[in-house]
Amino acid sequence: VTGAAPANGAAVLVVDDEVGMRDTLVEILKLHGYRVSSAPDGETAASAAQETAFDVVVMDIQMPGRDGVSVLEELAGPPPRVILMTAYAMEERLRAAHDAHAFAVLHKPFDAMRMLGLVADASHAGQQASEPADERADK
Amino acid sequence: MTDVTLREPAAGRRPRRQPLRFVSAVMLVVVAGVVVASSLITLHVIRDQERLILRESTAEVAAVLGGNFTNTKSSLQLLGAIARSGKGHPALFAAAAHSVATPNSQAWVVTTQTGTGLRVTAATGNGPAVGQLLSGARAQLARRALSANGLVFGLVRGGPSVRLVIALGQAAGRGTVVWRESALSPATPVPSTPTSPWHSLNIALYLSAHPDPSALVVTTVKGLPLQGLQYPFRVGADTWLIVADSPRPLVGWLAQDMPWIILVIGAFVAVLLTAVVETLGRRRDDAAALVKERTASLLSTSAELETAEAILVRQENLVAVGQLASTVGHELRNPLAVVTNVLYLMEAGAGSDPSAPMHRHVATAKREISAATLIVSDLLDFAAGRQPILAPVQVSDLVTETLSVAPPPEGIQVIEHNDPEILMEADRDQIRQGLLNLITNAYDAMMPGGGVLTVSTTSVSGSVHITVTDTGSGMSAETRDSIFTPFFTSKPRGIGLGLAVTKRVIDAHGGEITVDSTPLVGTSFTLTLRAAAAMMSVPR
Repeated sequence: VTGAAPANGAAVLVVDDEVGMRDTLVEILKLHGYRVSSAPDGETAASAAQETAFDVVVMDIQMPGRDGVSVLEELAGPPPRVILMTAYAMEERLRAAHDAHAFAVLHKPFDAMRMLGLVADASHAGQQASEPADERADK
Repeated sequence: MTDVTLREPAAGRRPRRQPLRFVSAVMLVVVAGVVVASSLITLHVIRDQERLILRESTAEVAAVLGGNFTNTKSSLQLLGAIARSGKGHPALFAAAAHSVATPNSQAWVVTTQTGTGLRVTAATGNGPAVGQLLSGARAQLARRALSANGLVFGLVRGGPSVRLVIALGQAAGRGTVVWRESALSPATPVPSTPTSPWHSLNIALYLSAHPDPSALVVTTVKGLPLQGLQYPFRVGADTWLIVADSPRPLVGWLAQDMPWIILVIGAFVAVLLTAVVETLGRRRDDAAALVKERTASLLSTSAELETAEAILVRQENLVAVGQLASTVGHELRNPLAVVTNVLYLMEAGAGSDPSAPMHRHVATAKREISAATLIVSDLLDFAAGRQPILAPVQVSDLVTETLSVAPPPEGIQVIEHNDPEILMEADRDQIRQGLLNLITNAYDAMMPGGGVLTVSTTSVSGSVHITVTDTGSGMSAETRDSIFTPFFTSKPRGIGLGLAVTKRVIDAHGGEITVDSTPLVGTSFTLTLRAAAAMMSVPR
């Protein structure tokens, strides 16, 4: 695997109700050196985010119970940076995701390289955010 | 007739004035014909009747005159007898003549044939004197009386006066003639009086078989000859003629005017009947027209309903198809995403040798996943069908971008004729999707042989035309008619939504998509969209 962002040991939470998607994402991220946790639904993800400080959350929008956008809204700003995934989201949910400052939205199916690039960017942006604010504004 | 008014037809559908209908015209002609014929027959019958009555009246006049002459004959026989028995007694003869005189009697004369001629043997009044030898008209008349059996008549003219002579031969013994002379003024009309024998008629009486003016005895009118019935009759040895007509209709005024009454009433009835028939006919026609109109309207409404129903059914079908497409598309994207991830993991675990069989298999699987992903996109695009968000779009830029998303396979040459000045009002994403469908279809049509794809843009009077032309296999007419139908496809792979989506997108833009195709030559699609103002900036 070439071209992926170098592993920096950032903490990533993968949230998807579909076990196949969840497991493959965890495996790919682990392959690239991330510390990865996972959650099968929005509620679990929200409580996990309370307990652990994740750098990046990769989360599906459409899930039974709470959807990804509502969890994003609760997390209320970085960190963690939230990358949302969707198979087919309603326009209204996408707008809500944008308004809640989602880092990016990935449309399924997506290339793993692209996902890895976004996760790297997000974790990098999270590290930048801990530095002085004026410096970050230049980015 | 006031209740018979021709109803005007419904507003403006017919000219106000129109000729009679055929039936009414025939009706009018037939009834008018019958009326005229009745009138003529009546006229004929009444004239016949009039002639008959005139003849009868004239015959009566003749009979009365004949009766008078019979009296005259008796008088002449009486005078003859007196003359024979009382020879030479003029007083006795005069007294007898006086007793049988009529108001206009002028003279009574008896003549006897002698060796030298006819000599007057008895006379009274203003006429030939006793002993006078007859000459001229009187001698002629006396001779005719001698040879005749019965009365003879003659007119004797002396200066302005005319005398009617009625003579009877052998009345006073053999060789004698007795006659009476009466003054006449035939030139002066004698008016009819109730007591005259011809009281109700105009007559002219001639002592002749013909209306000879010199033989006129009496007339009731001035302007002779009188036009009328000629009635000859014999009295004694002579023929008389009455010419008669009637100053007023003998059948009566009502009978005489009957033909005209029939004509007028008949004409009225004819017009009335025609009006009634015409009115009924027009009403029937109007009613029939109304029924026809309503029926047509009903049929048209029914057809519209059927069409609307068909559209509704089609729309419902499309909605159902859309929901199905949405569900399937959504549900497929998750497994596709998982498989994509798995392929990535397999590739990562396959080692670094790119020629390893695993790498080839993964590459094949990735291609198929891409194909499946495209189908899913088509399905979801079809299901979405959102309204376009219009903005100015630079066409050449959009074409270039689309071609970069779908680069031509090997063997296909792409030619672009695009003017960067041309802008259109469009939803960039939607039109790009539409163009992408046209371009990938064109590629498919030209493979595996290859060919030339031409994308050109023109702008004509407010419209932008984007034409995508290939040199591929072309389409049959049947295929061309169905290409925009959802799920119709002529390709071995594909679900037949690309052109349906493209058409819907163009329709939603208020644009137009046309296709021109010749089998084995190629196909050309043209999108027509509204042009945008050129000065507007174009965000990329």
